[in-house]
Amino acid sequence: MSTETAQGDVQIMKKDGSPFKFLIVDDSEFIRKSLKMVVKLLNGVVVGEAQDGVEAVEQYKKLRPDIVTCDIVMPNMTGVEVVKHLKGLDPQVKIIMVSSLGYQDMVKEAVGSGAKYFIVKPFKPMEAAQKIQTVIKKLYQL
Amino acid sequence: MKVEYVKPFAQASYDCLSEVLDRPITRGSLSVRKQPVEVSGVAVIIGLIGDIEGRVLFDMSEDTAIKIAAAMNYEEFNEFHQLARATISELGNIIAGRAVSELNNLGYKFNITPPILIRGNNMESTDIVVETLVIPLISDLGTFNINLALKNGKKSG
Repeated sequence: MSTETAQGDVQIMKKDGSPFKFLIVDDSEFIRKSLKMVVKLLNGVVVGEAQDGVEAVEQYKKLRPDIVTCDIVMPNMTGVEVVKHLKGLDPQVKIIMVSSLGYQDMVKEAVGSGAKYFIVKPFKPMEAAQKIQTVIKKLYQL
Repeated sequence: MKVEYVKPFAQASYDCLSEVLDRPITRGSLSVRKQPVEVSGVAVIIGLIGDIEGRVLFDMSEDTAIKIAAAMNYEEFNEFHQLARATISELGNIIAGRAVSELNNLGYKFNITPPILIRGNNMESTDIVVETLVIPLISDLGTFNINLALKNGKKSG
C-alpha cells in the first residue's frame, strides 16, 4: 500500500501493513544518516547499518532485511562483491546501489551481478525516497 | 595544466555545491599560485594516478565547513564534529567522482584515492612538480576553493 499526498509524502507499507525493513551499507556516516532520513520518509525501519562489505554480509545473515542499500566503493569488500555474496546467500535479496558518478564500470558490474537499481549521490532525501518508493512498488508489485 | 583537466573539476564542484546547498553559487576569479599555497582551515585532499596525476584539494574556513555540513544535514551545527567532518569528506568524494566521470568520457583513465580531511591553522600545500590553480566558489556560507595540481600521467594503452 502506498500513500502519496499533495505534500509529496512517499510512505509505503507491505501488503500486510507492516513497514519495510532496511539495511544501510555505506562507509560514510553522512550518507548513512541521509539514507536514514530517506527511510523515515518512506515510513520504513532501519534494522541495521554496516560500514563495510564484510559487516554488510554478517548483518544481512542476522537481520534478513527487505531492502539493502549499498555503496559501490568501500573498504574491505566492494559493493559489487557485496552484491555477489548476498545473491549467493539469498537470490531474492533486493539491493539498491548508491553511488557517485565516476564509477560507471562498477555500477554496471553490480547491476550485472543482480542489483537492479541505483541512486546517484548527491541526493535530496525526498527525491531519493520517491525513487525508492517506485523501486519498491516494482519489486514487491504494490 | 591542461584546461581539459580543470573544467570537469570546476563544473563538478559548482554543480554539486549548487545541488546540495540549494543556494546561489558564484564563481570567483581563477588564479595560478606559486608554491607554497595557503590552505584555509579545513581541506579535503584527493589524489589522482593514471593518465592524469596529481591531487585536487578542496579548502574552506572551518566556519564555512561547519555551515556547509549543517546545510547538507538540514540541521544546525555549532562545531566541526565527527558528522560534519564525514559530511565534508563525502562532499569532496562526490565532486571528485563527478569530475572523474566527465574525464572518463573524454578518454582519460585514472584512479582516485579516498578523501583525506585535514584541519588546522596556517596550513600550506606544496606541489613540487606542478603549478597550482585555485578556483573559488562563493556563497553566503563562505568561500569553497578548488585547488588543483594536475599533470599528464602515464597514458594507458
